[in-house]
Amino acid sequence: MSSPAILRQQEPAALVDIAAADAQPAAETPPAERRPNFASLATRWFRLNRERLRAVAIGALSLIAFLVVWHLLTKYRVVFFVRFTNVPSPLAVYDSFARAIHDPKFLTHIVLSCRRILIGFSLAAVVGVPLGLVMGRFKVIDEIVFPVAEVLRPIPAIAWVPMAIMLWPTNEQSIVFITFLGSFFPILVNTLHGMSLVDPVLVRAAQCLGARERSIFREVYFPASLPHIFTGLTIGMGVAWVSLIAAEMISGQYGIGYFTWEAYSLVQYADIALGMITIGVLGLGSSLLIRGAGQLVMPWRPR
Amino acid sequence: MSRVETRPPQGHIEVRNFALSYETIEGPVEAVSRTDIHVKPGEFVSIVGPSGCGKSTLLNAVAGFLKPTTGAVSVDGEQVRGPSAERGMVFQQYSLFPWKTVRENVEFGLKMRGMPRAQRERAARTLLGLAGLEAFEKHYPERLSGGMKQRVGIVRALATGPKVLLLDEPFGALDAQTRVIMQQILTNLWQRLKISVLFVTHDIDEAIFLSDRVYCMTARPGSIKAEIPIPLERPRQQAMMMSSEFLALRRGLMALIREESLKAMGGEITDLGMQGLTIDLHGHSLAEIL
Repeated sequence: MSSPAILRQQEPAALVDIAAADAQPAAETPPAERRPNFASLATRWFRLNRERLRAVAIGALSLIAFLVVWHLLTKYRVVFFVRFTNVPSPLAVYDSFARAIHDPKFLTHIVLSCRRILIGFSLAAVVGVPLGLVMGRFKVIDEIVFPVAEVLRPIPAIAWVPMAIMLWPTNEQSIVFITFLGSFFPILVNTLHGMSLVDPVLVRAAQCLGARERSIFREVYFPASLPHIFTGLTIGMGVAWVSLIAAEMISGQYGIGYFTWEAYSLVQYADIALGMITIGVLGLGSSLLIRGAGQLVMPWRPR
Repeated sequence: MSRVETRPPQGHIEVRNFALSYETIEGPVEAVSRTDIHVKPGEFVSIVGPSGCGKSTLLNAVAGFLKPTTGAVSVDGEQVRGPSAERGMVFQQYSLFPWKTVRENVEFGLKMRGMPRAQRERAARTLLGLAGLEAFEKHYPERLSGGMKQRVGIVRALATGPKVLLLDEPFGALDAQTRVIMQQILTNLWQRLKISVLFVTHDIDEAIFLSDRVYCMTARPGSIKAEIPIPLERPRQQAMMMSSEFLALRRGLMALIREESLKAMGGEITDLGMQGLTIDLHGHSLAEIL
């Protein structure tokens, strides 16, 4: 742990005279501490992480409270503007979950949905990020692409369903296409935004150090835009799930969205909630993955 | 490093008949007019002047970021056509790459030149050692203090062995104590590397303490109002700032700049002391009178 305090300690010794510093090579290191025992270590860990533990505890309590309220509402079949008469109870949903995880068909639904997300989202990232970078760097490309993008952007991915079915030979392809469209625009727009915020002085600094156009792109524009690119990816992932579920409900044969809709048609109410919760968990998991990737790629950013 | 230290003196900056104006809707606006300056190889030269006088514009033209409207900028007889690693630059806002560690920042210029990784790592470590920063090579800039950031900035600019070093108010954002330390570090590096330095500042003490020569610029459109040699002997110590010689130089420069600052502020205020002015409220409140 090199805290700011340690940094500051170094400052007075900061080379008033370089020659003097050359002569004294080793900076004073803090005296080696005796190894603390487990108990004191645990208390210290607790003190350092108290805030986080508190957040986790409150979060868990709030989830439990949610389940309890849900349970009570369904147990007494509350009718107060909204009707809980047919809403499955948490226990019923758990039963259906316990059955579903042994059902290969349910797993197929999940795997297929994940695959569609993976392909659609990856395509959107692979096209959207470079296009945004290039548009941000070269005005002509921006001037060509921007008007088209601005017209297409407000169209929700769901509105593309009929067109997608006409465009693509198979159902699978049109669902992936819709997922792609949903995540493409947030990724493109955020990358573009990141490019517009790159500090021009950093570009100058790179030029002064002998960097040419390509290096500046790779070493300055790209890393400088990364935080916004990842914002775009996070938003894009969310929209990808929204679009996927809608597409699956309308035109799918498999997938977790289709599973949820089918459960309604087959009057299996517990499965509706199971499908919804599965979608929620998958969405959460994928956005956590992106956040983790962001932290890996941008180690300089404070957590 | 040895290559840097043993090369023949070079880095002769010449700015001749320089003028620079911007196009606006009302016609061209002159930022700098009719300016001639030069920096001899190994010389430390400062430019001082009131804010907005175009001293940074001039420096940016030497760096190659701006093209003069008339006149020419050359280094060692070669005309400046754009930014290059031959002219290292240090910015007021540090301008370190936040996504690179301290060492990677220093390595950047060498990487651009295609130096193999192991070699440039070694070079960067040596340079960081020179600035007392070897312990922080793996830190990201965000975690450094302002003084440390600017030391990295200077070392980064020096890493490629430029002919000249250009500094644009490099210590303007630092507190007074750190600033003095930084001035001494810069002097030390300059004496070791025998590099030509062009230093822009609005701090008169700083300019006198560091320089061999100081150019004083007029208010906008800027041009050279005076050229003042600083005959103080080196090495210079902080105590020197109290000497009568230093104070005399300071007084002279102050008077020059003050005149220009007043002009820059609009020109009407000629009597800043306001000796003739007495305010007699005659028992009324100020608000009533106004």
